[in-house]
Amino acid sequence: MLMPRKVKHRKQQRGRMTGLAKGGETVSFGDYGIQALEPGWITARQIEAARIAMTRHVRRGGKVWIRVFPDKPVTQKPAETRMGSGKGNPEHWVAVVKPGRVLFELAGVDEALAQAAMERAIQKLPVKARFIVRPGVGSMPEVQV
Amino acid sequence: MADIQLVAEPGRAEGSRASRRLRHAGRIPAVVYGHGIEPISVSVDARELRAALNGEAGTRALLQLSVGSEQHLAVARQLQRHPVRHTVTHIDFQVVSRDEIISAEVPISLVGEAVAVHRGDGTVAQDLMSLAVKARPADLPPHIEVDVSELEIGSTIRVGNLSLPAGVETDVDPEQAIAVGQPPQVVVVTEQAEAEEGGAESAAEEAEAAGGEGAGES
Repeated sequence: MLMPRKVKHRKQQRGRMTGLAKGGETVSFGDYGIQALEPGWITARQIEAARIAMTRHVRRGGKVWIRVFPDKPVTQKPAETRMGSGKGNPEHWVAVVKPGRVLFELAGVDEALAQAAMERAIQKLPVKARFIVRPGVGSMPEVQV
Repeated sequence: MADIQLVAEPGRAEGSRASRRLRHAGRIPAVVYGHGIEPISVSVDARELRAALNGEAGTRALLQLSVGSEQHLAVARQLQRHPVRHTVTHIDFQVVSRDEIISAEVPISLVGEAVAVHRGDGTVAQDLMSLAVKARPADLPPHIEVDVSELEIGSTIRVGNLSLPAGVETDVDPEQAIAVGQPPQVVVVTEQAEAEEGGAESAAEEAEAAGGEGAGES
């Protein structure tokens, strides 16, 4: 699973997820993508599950890009523990995602197969997401208004 | 490429609120600048803009922009898009003249079937989606076609291999890769392996669930 090799601080504050994605909102490497439509935390396990769902459906050919990285540690206190005594232990890693962010990209397969594979990957994600096509690819116009 | 007519209305109100109202009314805020003219805030009809920039030349189209009583030859220089909907929210028009050399990003489209790559279950990876070129406005190609039918796994088509149309030049490094024949990356999962993996996963899940219950009870 994805996780940082080393971090400056072991524990982080939770932060806010207001607004829209400020970067990474276009399909840049492949032809097709999965775009988040709401904010959320995506865990390393969910990213891996979505990747496996997608690659298993594609079976052969195709190249997958993962455009998000889980670099935020999430802590949890052990069950049945009294409050206090400091912050809990880092349990897993999440990627903070805002609406518009492209999560995965795919290339090397036709649009119907890419859509079917990505719909399966979307089922593994905790946020609403949609399948998108790079402008200029297939019937997708360069300019949408 | 024939010029495309586009009407731009000058004298729009500036600011985010006024611009939002304009977009709701089916117009797109824009600015016209270049060739020493004072920048003019204009707005264009969204449907007309879509028709103008989705033609054969795409966003590289040469536009005959009528701003009030004036006519300007212009190209779309920068399009700002909504991060979720990807609709155009603002557009920059740069005034150009027919005999000046301008720079533009021209998309690269791969044509042909890479038979040798597909036979080896590989994929054609496109490393460069567009090429920065310099040319006269009328010489700008709508796209640059790269034939990948001769591509093999491990071989690369580079910018230096391109034969650009007459009057078109590029400053991009000739060694920059455009398309690469890559070996297969997606592992073919056989049914047996899948079943074994599924069994292992379910066993791991059961162990995890048992561990979780144990932790809950303690």
